[in-house]
Amino acid sequence: MQQTMEPFGEGFITTFAPEFVLVIGLFTLMIAPNLGDGKFRLPLSQIRVPYLFGGRRGKLDSDPRLPGLFASFFFITAFGMALLSFVDGMNTTTVQVVDADNNVTNLLKVDEFSRTFELIFYGALALASVASINRLPATSRNDRTNAGLYNNRRQVDFYILLITCGLGMSIVALAQDLFLLFIGLELASFSTYVLVSFMKETKEGTEAGMKYFIVGSVASGVGLYGLSLLYTWAGSLQFEALTNAFITSGMEPLPLVALSMLLVGFGFKVSAAPFHFAAPDAYAGATGPVAGVLATASKAMGVLGLLRILIIVAAPEATDGAAVWLVALGVLAAVTMTWGNLAALGSTNPKRMLAYSSVAHAGYMLAAITAIGALNWEPAHMTESNNAALAIVTALVFHLVVLVCFKLGAFLVLSLLESEQGGHTLASLGGLAKREPMLAVTMFIFMLSLAGVPPLSGFMSKFLVIMGIVKAALIGSTVDGTIVFSELHWVWWLAFLMVINSAISVFYYLRVGLVMFFHEPEEGRRTSLPPGRSVRVAIVVCLVATVFFGVGANGLIALCESAANALLNVW
Amino acid sequence: MAGSGSSEIVHSTAAQYAPWILLLPMLAFPIILYLGKALNGNKMWKDTLKEGGLIALGFMGASLVLSLWLVVDFIGAYGGTEMLSDWTWFTSSMWADGDNAVSTVSFGFGIHIDHITVMLLFIASFLCLLINTFAIGYMNTDPINDNRNHRFYAEFVLFCSGMLGMVLADSFLWLFIFWELMGLCSYLLIGFYYERPSAAYAAKKAFLTTRVGDVFLMVGLAILWDLFGSLDYAVVFDSHNIEAVANNSAGTLAWALGLMFIGAVGKSAQFPLHVWLPDAMEGPTPVSALIHAATMVNAGLYLVARMFPFFGHEAMHGELADLAFIIAAIGGTTAVMAAAIAFVQHDLKKVLAYSTMSQLAYIFTGLGAALYLANTLHWHKYLPDGTTNPEYYVNHGIVIVAFGAALFHLFNHAMAKGMLFMASGAVIHEVHHAHHHLHHHDDDHGHSDPEELVMLAKYLNDNDQTVYEFFKSIDLDGSGDIDMFEFQKALTASQIANLPPWEMTALVKAVDLNGDGRLNLPELDLALGRIISDLDHGHHDEFDAQSMENMGGLASKMPITATAMLVGSLSIMGFPLIGGFWSKEGIIANTWRVALEDPRFFYPALCVLLGAGMTGFYMSRMWLKTFAGSPKGEVAAHVHPTNTWIKIPLFTLTFFSLGGVILASMGFTHWAPDIEYGLMSDHGGFIGGFLYEMEHVFANSKPFFFILTYIAIFIGAIVGPGIALSLYGGALDEGETVKPWFTPVLALNAAVKGRYHWDNSALAGSGFATALSNRLYFDHYYDMAMLKIVAAFSNKAAEADASVIDGTVKTIERTSQDISTKLRALTTGSARDYILMAAVGTLALVGLIWGVVA
Repeated sequence: MQQTMEPFGEGFITTFAPEFVLVIGLFTLMIAPNLGDGKFRLPLSQIRVPYLFGGRRGKLDSDPRLPGLFASFFFITAFGMALLSFVDGMNTTTVQVVDADNNVTNLLKVDEFSRTFELIFYGALALASVASINRLPATSRNDRTNAGLYNNRRQVDFYILLITCGLGMSIVALAQDLFLLFIGLELASFSTYVLVSFMKETKEGTEAGMKYFIVGSVASGVGLYGLSLLYTWAGSLQFEALTNAFITSGMEPLPLVALSMLLVGFGFKVSAAPFHFAAPDAYAGATGPVAGVLATASKAMGVLGLLRILIIVAAPEATDGAAVWLVALGVLAAVTMTWGNLAALGSTNPKRMLAYSSVAHAGYMLAAITAIGALNWEPAHMTESNNAALAIVTALVFHLVVLVCFKLGAFLVLSLLESEQGGHTLASLGGLAKREPMLAVTMFIFMLSLAGVPPLSGFMSKFLVIMGIVKAALIGSTVDGTIVFSELHWVWWLAFLMVINSAISVFYYLRVGLVMFFHEPEEGRRTSLPPGRSVRVAIVVCLVATVFFGVGANGLIALCESAANALLNVW
Repeated sequence: MAGSGSSEIVHSTAAQYAPWILLLPMLAFPIILYLGKALNGNKMWKDTLKEGGLIALGFMGASLVLSLWLVVDFIGAYGGTEMLSDWTWFTSSMWADGDNAVSTVSFGFGIHIDHITVMLLFIASFLCLLINTFAIGYMNTDPINDNRNHRFYAEFVLFCSGMLGMVLADSFLWLFIFWELMGLCSYLLIGFYYERPSAAYAAKKAFLTTRVGDVFLMVGLAILWDLFGSLDYAVVFDSHNIEAVANNSAGTLAWALGLMFIGAVGKSAQFPLHVWLPDAMEGPTPVSALIHAATMVNAGLYLVARMFPFFGHEAMHGELADLAFIIAAIGGTTAVMAAAIAFVQHDLKKVLAYSTMSQLAYIFTGLGAALYLANTLHWHKYLPDGTTNPEYYVNHGIVIVAFGAALFHLFNHAMAKGMLFMASGAVIHEVHHAHHHLHHHDDDHGHSDPEELVMLAKYLNDNDQTVYEFFKSIDLDGSGDIDMFEFQKALTASQIANLPPWEMTALVKAVDLNGDGRLNLPELDLALGRIISDLDHGHHDEFDAQSMENMGGLASKMPITATAMLVGSLSIMGFPLIGGFWSKEGIIANTWRVALEDPRFFYPALCVLLGAGMTGFYMSRMWLKTFAGSPKGEVAAHVHPTNTWIKIPLFTLTFFSLGGVILASMGFTHWAPDIEYGLMSDHGGFIGGFLYEMEHVFANSKPFFFILTYIAIFIGAIVGPGIALSLYGGALDEGETVKPWFTPVLALNAAVKGRYHWDNSALAGSGFATALSNRLYFDHYYDMAMLKIVAAFSNKAAEADASVIDGTVKTIERTSQDISTKLRALTTGSARDYILMAAVGTLALVGLIWGVVA
């Protein structure tokens, strides 16, 4: 069902219930820890009116775990509400402003595509938030001194940043206007910059956050410049307007330069080479859950932006067969996946290793987008191309969803090691199988899934992506039912490179297993790990999802297919 | 399934739950393994949970309940139509080609249920449960298994899930996957006592020999896939598909089936891939019972039975007759060969192993005959040209009964052989205990010696060093006693063990009698001397609890076991009215029926007839040597009845073997292969069925089969056992009382032996007997061939592997690591450099996009 509405018009709040839940969460987090028995004395009287703000805090609201619990609750509620909107079919809703001259400006759009991405964001953030409850150093709940209060405030800051991050990401998912999209992107990015350097006591944390911020702002600056060029050229940043402009005059220099600059901005977000340099530093400096969010939700946001710009705005069908960005993106994909895998081979810090593996995954996703650019839109191949595009976008969304399960899960396992000052060297994983067999098996399953071993979800996502690319490359290459090799589109080689790269990656993923199962524990790490119940709960959720989405992938594939349909319907 | 291919397919509730039949044991595998590791040695784990035995029992029980539900549902509610249920891994319309967007691609696992499935499903789940019960009584009371039975139970349930999965699978691909899972578990279980070189060797042998067959099976399946484009039963057994393949490439299909048959030969231990089965008796007895009698060896038969639709299809008429002959001939050869080798075996379990080979060979012969008939007779309702077949009724009956006899024998043999193995296990168990009780009750410390000390003693023994010399050589400071450090050094120097300090403390404590923390010469001498003298005198004695030479006269001491063994033996022999009789007669009769059509079949037909007598002989010999006569040796006189866990399955299976007549009367032989035949329907219910069967077996209206039946009975139930009666056993000792049903047997034995006893030492000492006890030198020649050809080739291959393949891989790895180091060196840690790289990237992107367009 299609509908349009004014901002804050009828049904606005129910439509955007998940986002409003987060806004409520934001205010709750700001207010709740400050509630106390603060009183206000009416002037010239002895009457003290309690206004419940400031003063001595109660027992409950000075509990340092309170913000974490609140944030987790709001994230899970938002996730549930987003999921709920799929039940009984999705109402596709466009929020638009109509001015006096009847010019329509689209702002936000709720459909399967944006909601699926919101599920990814909220899911990842909810897991990170749950995992952080016992993880941030916190003083005991009985300590009501100033130090305790101070610490309590810090907890609040962390979760407030997580929530603003979530809000920014939702705006990216919903935006129908490039400018709005960029604002959401920056909101989320700024939150992550601070989150990375949140552990300001450690040198790595501050340094990593600083570097991430500097490189990130340069990339954003370049992207913003590209945006302004686009505006100069088209006079609007509305997706529809830009699409039409590309159809009429997409080959002019101005939009091409603007497009490449936008690619830089989003390339940084998905950590594509050579814009990825800050990522390993940032992941290594941040706490496990935050690094996990960077590698999953933040990356999904970048991919979302790329899909909007490359597929919808710089629409391939507008530019005679091959898209303008085809070669550039193909090169970017090839370089990124190879660079990521080769760099990961030698990493001895598991977090850096996962960061590089995340770069490699970015390469796989870029390869998939490249394949969409290579589709042949002549009438003879229209249906095939439509199917292939659907397959590829489905595979991409699927990949992003399941990435939350195992990549975030792996970071959470490392975060458990961090609580005993480990997790920064591969050796600190040594003998994990003897110390905590179940945890080691879980980590190993995450690694296998990252490597793409059936029947885990990592296999399925890689399989879908490769099949999608091959399907795209095959179009127009068959003569009388047999495939003519020389007629294959060159994006086929990206799939081939992806297979080679997957083979390389198995080496460093399995090395983690080797260390866990066959190496002796480091000195001083012989007993089991600190408890951290909430982290373990989050890890179990990740594990179950990793296995479940591999074995019973059908439901998720259907969901992703509906999301892909919603995106591609615009054509 | 043998009927028309267009039968209705039902999705029933029971079938929806069918995947759990195999998933439950599969789930039990990690649970038992994990708990066993975590709770090892725990008292509750050991006594209450029987080291996982009861957990396994629970899961197998649930699995059996589901199986029975399925069986009842299949027979009752759905009257035997095929049932299906599938579990799809994923389905997607995304890869559908071109305009056809609705067609889907799906991957998954499905359940296929028909008569054969149901029969084997019952056999597998029922026997697995009983053997699990038996194992609790057998494994948990054996001190040699201390604290490692969880490994046994874990591997056991995994094995069961493999068998159940193979039976339930709906495609040859999944059949193969579970087939290999069984192969793996079989390897693990045969090698359960992996510290014994013979067990490790047997495990390897079984694994490799069956693997030879598996390679052929794999090739066969690949050809089949090439022909049909799928391995799903639904596709390959589709009437139109078979017709299409038969018209184009009937010969290729024959090759595919032939290669698959070689896989079955390996799995079911038939000539010439039979060498692994006797060695596989190295595994614990429950394993022998389960794998090498009741379930795994049936896999090969199941595979051949599954091929029936190819043989039975009109389009393949006559094309596969040669293959059917090969199957029957291999069966006939093995039947006689294995029976002959069984003549000279003294090991109780080995007799049963050869008997298994021989009986499986019977089934193969029966299958071969049935497949031949199906392939050469016009037995469908309509002839290929569409007219009604005038001989439909007669031919249909012939084919169905032939196929049914083989399947029925599979059922009877599984039940009887499972029971025989368990009974033999009970005997061995009790003989072993009696021996232990007699000879070892005072010095049980042999098991508590630390491993390192035993190794040290062996080391001294091998190097002819006395304890004194050893002590002098390690007492570095000459103080007259040694401390832990010196001892540790000595152990390291003699390459025995390099132990960490805490284990050294424990080791020293075991030797240190006066508790001063140091060892002096007398202490060491005492500890090592005892072990050395044990080694010298073969303390780990050569008494063989499995040898029938150490038994005899056990009928009075182990009545339930003896009864079970008697009934099982009679069933295997095909003694009239008992279990196997109903199916064996069918196999013999049908092989002869074919022989009348095709003279080539005289060979297998003569083999099975001769084999009947041989079976009668070696089974009687086994029973008489074990249970009749006077006890041979002191040990056999002190055997006690076995425990309840072991008795339950024996008791149950005794009734199943005796009850063969009930199943036969219900029309099992007709029902098993034929979809149109209901149980107890065609011959007027139970009584009518009974009369029909009796009439057909004992009073066949065709003179040829009438005479043949009586010849077979005469050879199998009179001549064979008669010779054994005259040679072995005899009356029990004075004063021994037996159950009443043994009295006639023992009296007959005593009478025959007293009157007709003859000296067979000339025969026993002949060259042929020697050849038989050396298993006709098959192992010898196989080993030689391996050494000469395979080993030489392997050496060359290993060289090539090291220099070429490893070299290449290592080069790739080294190069990648070098590149990795260089790439990571670019990550300098300075934000300035990062921005520089980003700038380079930006320029490159602008260049690429603009450049390509312009």
